Amino acid sequence: MNEAVPSYLSPTGQEIVFLLLGAVAVGSALLVVTTKQLVHAALWLVVSFGALAGCYLVLTAEFVAWVQVLIYVGAVVALLLFGIMLTRAPIGRSPGLDSGNRVVAAIVAVATAAVLVTVVIDGFRTAYADLTPGRGTAGELGSSIFRNWVLPFEALSVLLLAALVGAIVLSRTDIRGR
Amino acid sequence: MNGAIEAPTIEYGQLMPMLLVFGAAVVGVLIEALAPRYLRKAIHVPVTLLSLAGAFALIILQAVRDGVPEQASAMGAIAVDGPALFIWGVILVLAFISMLLINDDDQFVAQAAAVPGSPEEEDAVAQGGAHTEVYPLALFAIGGMLLFSSANDLLIMFVALEVMSLPLYLLCGLARRRRLLSQEASVKYFLLGAFSSGFFLYGMALVYGFAGTVDLGGISSALASVGGQDSLLYIGVALLGVGLFFKIGAAPFQAWKPDVYQGAPTPITALMASGTLVAAFGAVLRVFWVALGNLDWDWRPVMWAVAILTMVVGAILAITQTDIKRMLAYSSIAHAGFLLIGVIATGDAEQNSGSLSGILFYLLTYGITTVGAFAVVTMVRDAGGEAGHLSRWAGLGKRSPLLAGIFAFFLLAFAGIPLTSGFFGKYAVFAPAVSGGALGLVVVGVISSAVAAFFYVRVIVLMFFSEPAADGPTVALPSVGTAAVVTIAAAATVVLGVFPQPVLDLADQAASALFIR
Repeated sequence: MNEAVPSYLSPTGQEIVFLLLGAVAVGSALLVVTTKQLVHAALWLVVSFGALAGCYLVLTAEFVAWVQVLIYVGAVVALLLFGIMLTRAPIGRSPGLDSGNRVVAAIVAVATAAVLVTVVIDGFRTAYADLTPGRGTAGELGSSIFRNWVLPFEALSVLLLAALVGAIVLSRTDIRGR
Repeated sequence: MNGAIEAPTIEYGQLMPMLLVFGAAVVGVLIEALAPRYLRKAIHVPVTLLSLAGAFALIILQAVRDGVPEQASAMGAIAVDGPALFIWGVILVLAFISMLLINDDDQFVAQAAAVPGSPEEEDAVAQGGAHTEVYPLALFAIGGMLLFSSANDLLIMFVALEVMSLPLYLLCGLARRRRLLSQEASVKYFLLGAFSSGFFLYGMALVYGFAGTVDLGGISSALASVGGQDSLLYIGVALLGVGLFFKIGAAPFQAWKPDVYQGAPTPITALMASGTLVAAFGAVLRVFWVALGNLDWDWRPVMWAVAILTMVVGAILAITQTDIKRMLAYSSIAHAGFLLIGVIATGDAEQNSGSLSGILFYLLTYGITTVGAFAVVTMVRDAGGEAGHLSRWAGLGKRSPLLAGIFAFFLLAFAGIPLTSGFFGKYAVFAPAVSGGALGLVVVGVISSAVAAFFYVRVIVLMFFSEPAADGPTVALPSVGTAAVVTIAAAATVVLGVFPQPVLDLADQAASALFIR
């Protein structure tokens, strides 16, 4: 990891793309929390997640990138939009969404971000990871998951089953006695 | 990438107790799907109890026939070592007697989706609706506890944390009476639990950034070889600690405990107060001893502060409580503090195994007494359900001397009075701590035990020396299950208090080889 660090002054194309995608991700994440329209917030979230998927792709983690697209962009945001649609929440501009705590929340968020960024920068100050293509393919990940990580993987399916049963318990209204 | 994947090695024999519990949970889901409604409970109860008893038998078989394995199982994910087998046994015993309580009717909501106080709710109650899904959900939680306490890498530990917690979040909201309180408890537990999982996950990511592995043994060896990234390690360990301290309810992360213990159906409270605490201490020991054992100079001061704060907060706030379940919750916080003393008292291998054996014994004694105490709580009833308020317990000793006597005995065991199991539990933890140089902590522990004894005795005085109110609560005729739980718990508290040696020896034996890496 601590090999010779290339100069920052002549970035490769890969690095430039990575930085740009990072800027898009951060910018759209800011828009998610500042926009006054709920649906717009959900759509900005798509942009943010998409940019993050792009970052993964640049880092040669192609399988993770597509999972990010499928699960976050596809499922989570769709769930959010359906939630807005089905709960008759206000879709247009809704000033009531502004919380009275937002100043405090902003301070906490900025402080948390500052701590985490400092830690990561301090931890990896001069580290430079060389990217070898092919490390993040589905095949590599698959053989790792189904060999080294097979037990956590199976335990996750148990978790999903428990969550499913729980969701049914909480929501079914047609349960009748005997 | 054209080769076939090499098959992983899974030691099914060693994992069998856990697989049996998960298997029974899946069978329970199938019963929900296929069996007619009126038969379900009659099938669930034997399946659940038999699987727990069978898993316990398998643990004994494993320990007697094959001895303790010396390497982690299932590709290094699970460590079935001596302490793990003992903790599994404790969890299964506690789960078994808690399940006898869950078996008691009238604790769980008829239809969870009905709005409290609505006509639908009355309909569901009138039609005798019942959520028999509580059996598989509880089994999932118990399986998660087994997994959590024996996890050998952080990834499986996180998955197990979720498998253990998620069914408990749900079960907390299913109380039959005071449903709004119960639902509030459930939402609080879920939100705070999700936060703490987030902390755990972030800590795990940072520690991975430091060590390049999530394997506990790998982290331990990375402590010696990796340099210059200490900030990652410290912040990562701190975040991991937050996640784990939340689960054991150590101060300052104890706020959820009183609310959740009060709102949850009492049998579920009993399961949480005993099983979850045991499992969480198993995980705390693994993270701080196996992975971070060589970092003890760095985490010990923080742990000292947490332990002192936990004991003091638990003991002092308990005095101000007026609800019996909240009082027991604060008592549980104080006991988590006592157990943390054992976690801190590390040293050479002999010292460690002494501390570990003390913790194991304490977990067993505290868990059984707790389940017994909550079983008594389910039996003292008002018109609107359990009589939670302490003033309602006044004069119970005159109305129902036997029950009040047993409850008083449990409270004395919590206080650690000699001739109860609690005394030997405390002794087993405090004695190695004194030899391990944590004398200051032990002094704080003894003082807060004394403070705690004050409010236990106050309840006893209230029960025996005040006049019963005219409209006082009734003592429900216990079902077979509840009666069995109270009897088992009282018997265990007596036997472990008078003749603890065989179990102490067993704990010594389990702890002698320490954790495998």
